[in-house]
Amino acid sequence: MTPLLWILGILALPVVIAAVWFTGAFVKELFSPSPPGPDPAAQVAQRLGLLPAERQDTEHPAPLPDTWAAALDAVRGGDWQPAAELLRAVDRDWERRSALTALLGAAAAEEDGWLMDWEAARPEDPDAAVVRAQSTVSLAWELRGSLGAGSTTREQFDGFHRTLAAAREEITRAAALNPDDPTPYITEIWVALGLGCPHAEMERLWAQITARAPHHYGAHHAALQYWCAKWRGSRELASGFAEKAAAGAPVGSLLTVLPLVAHFEHDGSTDVAADGTPEMVARVDAGLADAAAAAAADPGRPGLAQLRHLLAFYLHLQDRHEAALEQFRLVDGHVDALPWRYHGDGAAAYYCQVRNETARAAAGRVTG
Amino acid sequence: MGATLRALRALVLLLGFYLLSLALLAALIGLDVVVFTWGHGAVAVKLALVSVLLAAPVVRGMFMLHTPKGEDGPGIAVTEAAEPRLWALVRDVAAAAGTRVPDRILLTGEVNASVSEKPRLLGLLPGPRRLHLGVPLLTGLTEAQLRAVLAHEYGHFTGGDTRLSSLVVRGRAQLARVIGQFHAKADGKVATERARQEQAAAKRIAKGKKAKQVDTTGSGATYRMMAAIYTAYAKLYMRASLSTARDQEFAADLSAARLAGRDATASALREIPVLSASHDFYLDSYATLGLRAGLLPPRGEFFGGFGKLLTAREPELVRHRAELPEEPASPYDSHPPIAERVRRIEALPADGRTEEAKGAALALLTAPEQTLAALEDAVLVDEVLAFRRTAGWEELLDASMAAGLSSAHTPLRRALAAYTGQPPTLTALLDVIDKGRLWQLAGKLPLSQEAAAATGRAFREFARPVMRGSVRTMVLAEFSARSLLHWEFSWSHPAAVRLSGRGAQATRDDDPDAALHAAVDAALADHPDTAPLRALLPPAAQPA
Repeated sequence: MTPLLWILGILALPVVIAAVWFTGAFVKELFSPSPPGPDPAAQVAQRLGLLPAERQDTEHPAPLPDTWAAALDAVRGGDWQPAAELLRAVDRDWERRSALTALLGAAAAEEDGWLMDWEAARPEDPDAAVVRAQSTVSLAWELRGSLGAGSTTREQFDGFHRTLAAAREEITRAAALNPDDPTPYITEIWVALGLGCPHAEMERLWAQITARAPHHYGAHHAALQYWCAKWRGSRELASGFAEKAAAGAPVGSLLTVLPLVAHFEHDGSTDVAADGTPEMVARVDAGLADAAAAAAADPGRPGLAQLRHLLAFYLHLQDRHEAALEQFRLVDGHVDALPWRYHGDGAAAYYCQVRNETARAAAGRVTG
Repeated sequence: MGATLRALRALVLLLGFYLLSLALLAALIGLDVVVFTWGHGAVAVKLALVSVLLAAPVVRGMFMLHTPKGEDGPGIAVTEAAEPRLWALVRDVAAAAGTRVPDRILLTGEVNASVSEKPRLLGLLPGPRRLHLGVPLLTGLTEAQLRAVLAHEYGHFTGGDTRLSSLVVRGRAQLARVIGQFHAKADGKVATERARQEQAAAKRIAKGKKAKQVDTTGSGATYRMMAAIYTAYAKLYMRASLSTARDQEFAADLSAARLAGRDATASALREIPVLSASHDFYLDSYATLGLRAGLLPPRGEFFGGFGKLLTAREPELVRHRAELPEEPASPYDSHPPIAERVRRIEALPADGRTEEAKGAALALLTAPEQTLAALEDAVLVDEVLAFRRTAGWEELLDASMAAGLSSAHTPLRRALAAYTGQPPTLTALLDVIDKGRLWQLAGKLPLSQEAAAATGRAFREFARPVMRGSVRTMVLAEFSARSLLHWEFSWSHPAAVRLSGRGAQATRDDDPDAALHAAVDAALADHPDTAPLRALLPPAAQPA
C-alpha cells in the first residue's frame, strides 16, 4: 500500500505546484490587471485625425444638416413648428422627404405629444399625416425589438403585429392627402415585411412607388430587405432585385449599393475569398463611380454615406487599402450604417477596428 | 432473430437489471473500504453515511421488483354480480383472444384501459391479473370500440412468439415502475420540502419580512441520480427490445381488428388521443371550475359532464380525429405513431362489421348514473368531496365566476392601493385616469421584462393590453357585486358574460359587452376619456 501512496504523491506534486502558480497569477491579474499595450493600428488612425470609438456617433450614418438637427431637438422639446416648416420646405425632394420623415417618425415613436399638437392645429396636413404613419410603424419595430424571432417574446410579437395593422389606416390616409408622395408606400414596405405579406402584394406596392419615384434610394433599401432570405425572399430574389435596380439606374442614383447589401446580407462565411471575386471588384468599382457622381451633384444626399461605408468595408477586404481609407475619411464620425450596424453596441468598436487595420495597411504600403 | 434467442436476450436484459444493482452496491462498499483503510475520523464516517444513503434506494429497487406494493390508483372494484354485462364482454374478449380472464375489474377516472399483472418470482411467473378501465373512456367509446381496446390489451398476452417475449414486456413494465417510484420518491421529497419552505415563507411574509425564495434543488437529488442511472439502463433495454415492442403493438392491433372488427379498431385508435385531450380540457375548464370557490357540480356530474361536452363539441372532434400524431411520443416509446397504426389497420380488407355494437360503452353498466356518482367518492379527496354541490352547471359557473371576480387581490387592485394609499375601488381608478396618472399606475403592475424596460409610447403599448384586461375585470366585478351580471354556460363555447342592461348606456345599446369594450378603450386611450365608462356603470358605483 505504502509504495503506491508514494508514487501517487510524487505524481501529484507537480500538479499542485502548477495549480498554485496559476491561481496566484489569476488573483494578481484580477486585482491589478496589466495595462494593455498601445495598439499601433489605432495610433496610425489617430495620427490621420480619425476619431476613436467613443467619439463615433452611433445614431446616424452621416452628420445631420443643422436645420434637421434643430427641428429634431425642437420636437423632443415639444415644439412641432420647425419640423413642419422643414418638411414643407423639402416639398417634392422625395429622397429627403422620406429620410426626414423617418427621423421625425422615430422621434414620435418615443413620445408623440408634439405630433398630436401638430395634428390638432392642422388636421389635414399631409406632412403630419405621413409622420404619424411612419411613427406608428417605428413604434411597432420598437415593440418587436431587434433580436431574432427566437429571442422575441409572444408579447412583443403581439404588440408588433397589432401596431403594424393599426398603421395601415394611417398610411392610406397619408397617401390620400399627398397623392404624388412615395413616402407612405415606402413606409408600407416595412408593414408588409413585418406582417409577411405575399409577394404579389409587395409587387403591387412596388408599382405604386416606382410610378412616383423610379430610382428612390430609401425605397430600394427597404424593398431589398423584404426580398432578403431572412425576411420574405431568398438570396436569388434579393440579388436579382438588386442587380436589376442597379443596372437600370443612372450613375449617381446610389443604387449601386444594392448588390453590395444583397451580398452582405447573404454572406455567412468568414472567408474573404467571396468578397474579392472579379464580380465583387466590379460592383465596388461601380459603387465608387456612383458615389463620386452623387457627391458631385449633391454631397448631402441621403444614402451616400451608407454607400461609402460599404465601399470602405469591401475595399478593405479586397486589400485596396488606400481607396478604402479615402472612403473612411469621408464618413468618419458616424457609424450607424451597414456593415457595422448589426453589431449593436459594438458597432463603433467594429468600425474602428476595421478602419484602423485599413489605416495601418495603407501606411505600411506608403512607407514600406 | 428466433423466438428462443429473443427470449434469452430478454432474460439477459432482465438479469442485467440485478447485475447493475449489485454493481452499484459493490462500488459503494468498495468506496467505504477505501475510505476506512486510508481515511480517518469524521470524514470517513461522513462518507460512509452518504454511501448508505445512496445504497438504500438501490436495495429498495431490487426488492421493489420482488414484492411490488399494491399500486392501484383510486377506483371502484366491480364484481360480476354488480356488472354482469361488462364482465360478460370482458370474458368474451378474453376467451376470443385465448388468454386468462382478469381477476378484478377496477373502474377509474382516467382516459385509459390497461391489463396489469402482479408478477411473481422476479417477474418470471405471471401473477393475478387486473383490468383498469377508465369511465371517461366508457363515456367516449362505443361498445365495439371498447372491445377493440380490450382486444388490443389482451393481444399483448397472447400469440405464439409474443408469449415468449412477454418477458420483455414485463421487464419493461418493471423498469418503468422502478424509475417511476424513484422519481415519485424524489418528487415527494421535493414537494414536502417545498410545502415546508412555503409555509415558512408565508409566516415570514405575515411578519412583514422579505420571504426567501423557495429552494428545493437539493432535496431528492440522490433519488434522482439513482433514477438517472436506471433510466440509462432502461434506454439500453428499450433500444434492444424496441423493434420487438413495436411489432408487438402491430400484432396486438391486428388481433384487435380480428376480434372487434377492422373499423371499430381503427376508429378506437383515432378516438383515444381525442378523448384524452378532450378530457384534460374538460377537467380544466368544466369539472374543476368551482374548486377555487369551494364548489362542485351536482352529484354524478363531475365525471358525467364529460359525455355532454363530447356531444356538444362533436363537430370540433371530427376535425381532431382527422389529425393523427405522425411521430412516436419519444424515441423509446414502445408504441409506433398512431397514424402508422391506423394506416395499417385501415389497409386491411373490409370485414363487413361496420354496424356492430354502436351503442355507448357506458350503457354496459347496470346503473351508469350510480357508477358516475360512486366514482366521485372513490377518486376525489375528502376535502373536495366536502365542497358545496351546486344545483346545476349554470349555477356552478355563475357562482365560481362571481367568487373569482370578488377576489380583492388582483394585481391592478394591489397596484392601485399601493399607488393611491386608498381602498382600490373602480372610482379611485377612474379618478387616477382623469388626473392623467394612468401610466404611472401601470408602472406598478407586474409587467414583463421587455415592457418594464420600455419608455414612452412603447411602454404604453406594452402596458395597454395588460391594463385593458385588468380594468375590464374590475368593471365586471363591480357589476357582479351588484348581481347585474350573468354568465352564459355552454358545452360547446367558452362562457360568455352578459350584462343586465341597467346602466344608462347599456339600455340604449343593443350589445352591452361591445359598449363595455369601447368604454374601457376610451378610458385607456392616449387622450383618456372616462365618461363612457362612468355612464356605463351601475348607478351605485358612481361617485356622488
